[in-house]
Parts: sequence; structure tokens; C-alpha cells
Amino acid sequence: MSAARTAAWLAVPARWYLGILFIGACLHKIADPHSFAVDIATYDILPLILVNLAAVTLPWIELAAGAMLLVGWRARTASLLITGMMAVFLAALAVALARGLDMSCGCFASQGAEEDPISHLTILRDLWWLGLALFVLFFDQGLAGIDHRFQRSNK
Amino acid sequence: MRWRSVLVEAIAVAAAAIFVAVVFNAARPVGGLPLIARTPYQVLVPCPEPGGPVQPLPPTDPELAADRTFLVDARPADDFTRHHLPGAVHLPYDWLDPVPEDRLQQLVEAIATSRATRVVVYGDGGRPDSGEHLGREISGRGIKNVFFVSGGASALFGVEQP
Repeated sequence: MSAARTAAWLAVPARWYLGILFIGACLHKIADPHSFAVDIATYDILPLILVNLAAVTLPWIELAAGAMLLVGWRARTASLLITGMMAVFLAALAVALARGLDMSCGCFASQGAEEDPISHLTILRDLWWLGLALFVLFFDQGLAGIDHRFQRSNK
Repeated sequence: MRWRSVLVEAIAVAAAAIFVAVVFNAARPVGGLPLIARTPYQVLVPCPEPGGPVQPLPPTDPELAADRTFLVDARPADDFTRHHLPGAVHLPYDWLDPVPEDRLQQLVEAIATSRATRVVVYGDGGRPDSGEHLGREISGRGIKNVFFVSGGASALFGVEQP
């Protein structure tokens, strides 16, 4: 098996992992957009007029990207979306850490800063997810997915 | 490579997701958000303490009276007027109002330009102790060898603090 083919097969579990992760991450945000808006406002990065808009729309982009990765439909498109979101999340985390904010990440269920505080480990965790998204973006060939089944891979 | 088509598709998917999100938000019977926030969110983020390290000092330590010791009294003005250690500089520490930055900066400059080798702060001796907290603020501004008197004024003057 060639290296590209091996990487393409390795991209399949990475795709599933990211898909489940992002679907899981978006559910509480869709169910309770107000809590997510408070999480966004706590970062104190976005202007007020954009806080609610981000709280309402971002989880649905996460859901769409997660579902696309899970079923293997336009996986590279989905991983590009996730790469962009992870880059934004990482930048926000870095700014919050640089400011010394003692707060929750807000990545999953809304928790207090004491239960899920941001730290350099949060940055490392997000970098790992960003790396996985990039791996899927560059190496996925749509194997074990809808695209492969219908011969409509992005590649 | 079809990077351009991947990018176009990503934009299209994001736009579709945003459309669904806005429609869903408008249609939900409860819990929907106005798309434009009008009033700021009340976020409760504990402020990072700007303090630096301080060490406790027994109230009987002879260094309290040494020439090279810079004394700071962190108690309210009435208590300072009633009794204070000779040479102590007064800067009251209020739990509700932060110490004015200009006064704190003046104090730090006075310490830095003095010939003192250590700073000793004493407060009311309560728990928490105002002297310890003022000491942390001073230490956090680059002053080294900052101490606070264990037990504060109660231990120094033998008076009960309210």
C-alpha cells in the first residue's frame, strides 16, 4: 500500500473522531445559545453586536462540518471549515490566556472556570485537533464515506 | 488539486448553516436570541491578582525598627492617627475600593528611591489581612523583599481590631 493510500486510510478514523467531537461540542450550544453567548462575551474579543450572531450561527457550522466528516461527504470541505474554526478558537484562547483570564473554555457544556479552566493544556488539546483537521484536509480521499461510495471524492 | 472548489464549497456550507441557524433561532418558541445583542453580558471573570510574593514577619522582629526597613501602614486613617510605627508611610488598603494607581505608584517610587533593603507592611491583622494584600500589590510592581507583619496592628500594638 502506498504512503498516500495509508494516509488516506488513517484519515478515516481521524475524520470520525473529529465528526463525533464537533457534533458533541455543538449540541449544548444549539440547545442553550444564551449560555454560549455568555461564554463568547467572557472572552471579551468580539464586539457586542457580533456576540449573539456568533452564538447562534457557529454551532450550526460545527454541526454541519461534524456531520459531513462523520458520513464522509465533502470531508475536505468540512475539514477546511474545522481548520478555520480551530484557528479562531486557538487565537481566542491565546488572547484570553495572555490576559490572564480565569475562565472556562466554553468548548463543550458551559462550565464554570473552576471546573474547566483554560490553560496551556487547552491550547495543546486544540492544536492536536487542528493537526487532525489539517491531516484530513490534506490526506483524506473520501474512503469509507458517501463520496467514496458514489465515486465523488473531493480529491 | 481543487483547492478553489473546496474553498467555495466551504463558504457555501457555512452560508447554508448560517441560514438554517437564523431560521431555527427565529422559529424556536423559547430560548431564541436576538441576533444583535443590545445590552452587555454580565460576565463574572475573577480578575487575576496583580500581586507578587510576600513573606510573613513576626511582630517582634527587630528588623521592624531597622534603618533599612521601609514601613507601610495599610490601615484606615483613624487607626493610623491613633498609633503607628515611627516612620511608617500611610496608604490605606480598602477591600471595596482598589488602591488608587497613582498613590500606589508614588509609594513604589518612594520605596525604589529610598535606601531601604526591605519593605514591611502591616494592616489590621484580620483574615484576610489588609497588610498582606497591600504587600502583594507592592511586590507585584517589582519591589523585592516585601514582608507583612503576622497578626498586623493587633499583634504590634496589642489592640483588638474590629
